[in-house]
Amino acid sequence: MHLPAPPPPIKRRLLLLLFANLILLASTFVLLKEGGSISSVLLRLGPNIAPIVLAGIGLTGIIWTGAIDLSIGSIISVSGTIFGVAVVRGVPPLAAFTSCVATAFLLSMLNGVVIRALRIPAIIVTLAGLPIYRGVSLLLAEWAIPQFTGNISVTAERYHAPGKIHAWGILLTAVLAAILLESFSRAPRHWLALGSSKEACSLLGLNPGRIQQTAFGVGGLFLGLAALLYVTRIQAIEPARMALGFELQVIGAVILGGTNIFGGEGSYLGTILGAMFLYLIVQVLVYAGASPYFQDAITGAIIIGVIGTDCALNRRRKQLEELS
Amino acid sequence: MRRSLLPLILLTEIVLFTIISGQRFESVPDFLLYFQSYGSDLLVQSAPALLLAFGMTLVLMTAGIDLSVASMVALVACVMSTFEGGTSFWWTAIPVGLCLAIALGAVNGVLIASLDVPPIIATLGTMIFYRGLCFVVMGDLENAPFMDVPVYEALGRVTGAGLVITLVYLIGGSYFHHSRWRREILMLGGNHVAARYAGISVSRRVIQVYSMVGFLAFLAALVFTARNSSISASSLSGLELKVIVAVVLGGTSVQGGRGSIIGTILGVLIVAVLEEGLRGAAIWGDRNLPFNISHLQYILLGLLLIFGVWNNTRVAIPARRQALPHTEM
Repeated sequence: MHLPAPPPPIKRRLLLLLFANLILLASTFVLLKEGGSISSVLLRLGPNIAPIVLAGIGLTGIIWTGAIDLSIGSIISVSGTIFGVAVVRGVPPLAAFTSCVATAFLLSMLNGVVIRALRIPAIIVTLAGLPIYRGVSLLLAEWAIPQFTGNISVTAERYHAPGKIHAWGILLTAVLAAILLESFSRAPRHWLALGSSKEACSLLGLNPGRIQQTAFGVGGLFLGLAALLYVTRIQAIEPARMALGFELQVIGAVILGGTNIFGGEGSYLGTILGAMFLYLIVQVLVYAGASPYFQDAITGAIIIGVIGTDCALNRRRKQLEELS
Repeated sequence: MRRSLLPLILLTEIVLFTIISGQRFESVPDFLLYFQSYGSDLLVQSAPALLLAFGMTLVLMTAGIDLSVASMVALVACVMSTFEGGTSFWWTAIPVGLCLAIALGAVNGVLIASLDVPPIIATLGTMIFYRGLCFVVMGDLENAPFMDVPVYEALGRVTGAGLVITLVYLIGGSYFHHSRWRREILMLGGNHVAARYAGISVSRRVIQVYSMVGFLAFLAALVFTARNSSISASSLSGLELKVIVAVVLGGTSVQGGRGSIIGTILGVLIVAVLEEGLRGAAIWGDRNLPFNISHLQYILLGLLLIFGVWNNTRVAIPARRQALPHTEM
């Protein structure tokens, strides 16, 4: 009988994604119409993918511990509403930006606390968080802004600085910080350990509850940055519709990047490349003439396809292990 | 949760919202008339949720979950709406919709049973995918051929919708209750490895359950379009959450192996009364609250979900903890 095949190394996934991204980028340039230039495409790339990449890095850590956060789209909408209220009230830009990041951080921490306190699976808690935070952002907007009409328009240019001018800078700094964290810090090792085996973790003297809480904390910080870049890029903040379905794109990017959905395996670099891939493929198809309505269908199909093959491969591995 | 608590919650809700809505009753017939129309409204409003909740209860019993139900209903309705109205609708659009719905459900089932994708991730994927297909089919348009179809409208009234629901719950429910199916589903939800060694063909059962949800999504699409008469690509978003909350409130455990269909009916009614009540309380809310009271619905739904799951696990966990240490995710 054959020995069980070794697990597909994550390096292969990274190389594959890198290669696919390069091909997609190249085809973007090929398909580019007369009007567009290469540099403008590259300039737009940063602000467009930054929210997904940053939220993806945050969520990657959370998924490593075996948890998940389905409420990130709604958390962004609460942060955005807080930011919008701050702008309407005339708060100086720096304070408004800080409040936006802090809100996302606190709500992510809250998710972690509720999961720990009630001992309910993370997926259920954050599934409930999805409508709760959405409702909170609506109530907040109606309560804090007189004559609220459904959207808060932010026109002053100084409030748009992070999303429009500094997006590339913030993105690269945060990515660098994440990769340094992954390489040199102990926390990500703990997250992976928790995701691999909770029992082994507590037998080693580690505290699973606290480890998960740190994952939600660090995830919240990255999510805060993502929210900041998301919010400062758009002209009008709509609490009811902002970032609707964002969590699905982020989860897609994380899983595409080779992070095991059950935790214990993965890399930040994979998530970054996965996010780029999901963005570029839609872009290429739009340049090639597909209707923009295909975007969700394509994203969904890719996610289903990748996760399906992933799980099917895992299943064969498990069955072989069971036999031997 | 103690089953007897559910009717009590329902009654409290109805009384509370009737008081808040400012309804006054002059006489006993007046009172009866009000509740007759209230009841029929409630039934028609919650008909799609009631139908889907039946399937969702079974899905949760297998330790699965189906987030794609709302997208499935929308996609089936969208595809049916591209056919022309008139009598021919009955033998063109309806069979196509039926086959499509069962196929969509079966795709979920195959992903989960044959490819081993965790149910929540698989149906999250198909939720985006099916919703994306809705936009591919419809774009930004809104189609309304349903009113030109003879007899179709009756499905949206109390008699039609009531008949469909009664058939599903009485015939389906009683068959299910006495069949071997139910015990097999409960067993594979409780412990699917044990079920496999007991000779139950696990993957076939799982695919059957998800396909049945597809069939119910078809019925829900019929009832919904007959009542609303038009459909757009973004219709019905958020319905899956209401259905899940209702089923969980009814005492079905998200970890599988335990569930009740009667509880589910009560759960759906609790959620529907809440929604309807908040709508009725709009005038009171405008006067007394600084925000739109109907938006409170989202927060209450989420809290109900957490409360329901917490309540169910409190009862169920101690015995299961040791057997299945890895059920958390």
